[in-house]
Amino acid sequence: MASRSARRQPYALTTPALIVIGVLFVFPSVYNVVLAFQKLSPYDTPGDATWVGFDNFKAIFSDPQIGSATLNTAFWLTALTVAIRLVLGLGLALLLQSQVLARWRLRGVGRTLVLVPWMLPPVVAVACWKSIFDANTGVLNQFLVSTHIVSKGVPFLAQTSTAWWSVIAIIVWRELPFVVIVMMAGLQSIPKEQYEAAAIDSAGRWQSFLHITLPNLRPVIVVVVLMTVIQTFNNFVYVWLSTGGGPGTYTQVLATQLYSAAFVANDLGQGAAIGIVMTATMAVFALIYLRVTGDREGRSA
Amino acid sequence: MTADVTSKPAVRDAPKKVVARRDPNRRRARDLLVIVPTFAILLVIVFPVLWMVFTSLRPTTALAARLPWSRYFDGLGFGAYGRLFGNSDFARYIGNSLLVSAVSTCCTVVLASLAAYALSRFVFRLRRTVLMVVLATQLLPFVVLITPIYLSFGELGLLNSYVGLIIVYTAMTLPLAIYLLMGYFDTIPLALDEAARIDGCSNVGVIFRVVFPIALPGIVTVIVTTFIATWEEYFFASVLNTSEDLKTVQVGLSSFFGEYTSDWGVIMAAATVATIPTIVLFSIVQKRLVAGMAAGSVKE
Repeated sequence: MASRSARRQPYALTTPALIVIGVLFVFPSVYNVVLAFQKLSPYDTPGDATWVGFDNFKAIFSDPQIGSATLNTAFWLTALTVAIRLVLGLGLALLLQSQVLARWRLRGVGRTLVLVPWMLPPVVAVACWKSIFDANTGVLNQFLVSTHIVSKGVPFLAQTSTAWWSVIAIIVWRELPFVVIVMMAGLQSIPKEQYEAAAIDSAGRWQSFLHITLPNLRPVIVVVVLMTVIQTFNNFVYVWLSTGGGPGTYTQVLATQLYSAAFVANDLGQGAAIGIVMTATMAVFALIYLRVTGDREGRSA
Repeated sequence: MTADVTSKPAVRDAPKKVVARRDPNRRRARDLLVIVPTFAILLVIVFPVLWMVFTSLRPTTALAARLPWSRYFDGLGFGAYGRLFGNSDFARYIGNSLLVSAVSTCCTVVLASLAAYALSRFVFRLRRTVLMVVLATQLLPFVVLITPIYLSFGELGLLNSYVGLIIVYTAMTLPLAIYLLMGYFDTIPLALDEAARIDGCSNVGVIFRVVFPIALPGIVTVIVTTFIATWEEYFFASVLNTSEDLKTVQVGLSSFFGEYTSDWGVIMAAATVATIPTIVLFSIVQKRLVAGMAAGSVKE
C-alpha cells in the first residue's frame, strides 16, 4: 500500500502544473491547427466556423504583403538586430571586463548601468524612444535642428527611410543588456592560462582575441543567437507600438500581420495560419541551426 | 608543470614593472582611453531613462515650445503626475496590474514548487516526458496561440475578466519557474526531507515547511522574475481585456500614445510610474538573477 501511494506521489505533485500547461499550451496548439483551416470572425462562436480547406495558407503564399512581412521579420527585425546586438554586446562586455576598469574600481558601476534598459518594461522603452524621436518636441530633433544638421524635425518613425533603423535602435537598446551579461559570463569562464600562454608566444591582443576569446565564446554565442532569434522573430510589441507596422505597411512583421489579420480584418483563421507558418519557420530554423553548430563543435572537439 | 610555474611570473611581471617605472602618467592616460569611451557608451545607454524622468517633471509650456538649452531646467515640478492621476484612470490600471500580477505569481510559485519538487526528488517513469513537455513549451512562441485562446476564452466567458488574464499569465510563466525551482531544489540535501518525514511531515508539508525556507533566496528570484514578466506583458492584456475598467498598466500607457500625443509630460509620468515596480524588484535580486542567467547560458 505504502509503496503504491509513494509511486503515485510524483504524479499527484506534477498534475496541477501539467493541467495548466495542457490547457493553455497543448490544447491551443492543436486548436490553432484546426482554426487554420476555418473561416470565422472574433465575434463568432467556434460553432459558426466554416471549413475552407487550404484557403488560408494559399492566401499567405499569394499575398505579397505577407511576403514582405516575412522578409521584414527575417531581415530587419531578426537578423539585423541580432547581429548588431552580438557585435555591440561583445564589444561592451570586453570593455566592462577590462583590467583598466577593475583597477579604477569602476566595474561595479559599469555593470549596473549597462543593465538599466533591461529594467524597463518594453512598452515603457517604446514610449521613451517615441518621445525622443518626436518630430517637433523630441530631444533628438531639437538637438539636430539647433546644431543645423537638419533644417526641420525628422519624423523618424513615420518615414520609410528611417522607420526601420529607428525600430532597430529601440530593440537593440532594450535587449542589449542580456547579451552583454551572457558575454561577460562567457569571458569570465575563459581560463587565464590561455592568455598567459599566448603572451609568452608574444601574441598580440588582436591575435589572442581571434584565437582564444572567440573560439572559447563559441558555445555561448550559439546559445545567445538561438535564444534572441526565437524571441525577436515572434516579437509583437516593439513594431506594433512604435510604428504600428507603418508607414503604410512598410514595417509590418509577421506578429503584427497575425494580429491585424485576426483582430483588425476579423479573420481568425487567417491569423491562425500565419501563426502556424511562424512556428514552423522557427522550428526549422532551430533544427538546422542546432545541426550545423552541433556538427562543427563535434569536429573541432 | 614546474618549469612553467617558475618561468611564468618572471615573463609576466617584467614588462609591467618597466612600464610603471618609466612613466606612471602614461599608463593613466592610456587607462582613460578605455574609461572615457566606456562611460560615453554607458551614458548613451542610460540617457533615455534619465530623459524620461526629466520630461515627466517639465512643465507643459516648456515641452511645447522650442526652448534654448539654457532654459531647459526651468520650472520643474510634479504637474504631469497630477494630470496623470487626476484626468485618467491610471490609478485603476495600477490596481488591475498589481492584482493580476500578484495572483498569477502566487499561482505560478505554488504550482511550480509542487512540480519542481517532484521532478527534483522522485525517480518516476514519466519524469523525462514531463521534463520534455516543460522545456518544449519554452520554445513554443506563446504569441501565436492568441487566436485559439481568444476563441476558447470567449466560449468560457473569460474575456474581459481578471481570471482569464491570471490563467494566461500563470501558464505563460509556469515552465520557466519549474525549471528554475528544480535547479534550486536539487541543491538541497535529501537527508533534510527524510528527517522531516520521520517526524511525520507529509509531502506538501516537507515542501512548504522544510524545502521552501531553505530555498528561499531562489524562490524570491522566481517570484520576482514571474512578477516582472506578468507586469510587463502587453499583448494578451490588450487583446483579451478590452474593457476600460480592466486595462493593465502597460495597455493603459500604450493607449496614451495616441490620446495625449501633445502631452509627453503625462506619458512620461505614466512610463516612470510603470517602471518603478520593475526597477525596485530587479535591484533586489539583480546579483542572483544575473548570475543565474549567465550560468544557465554558459553551461549549455
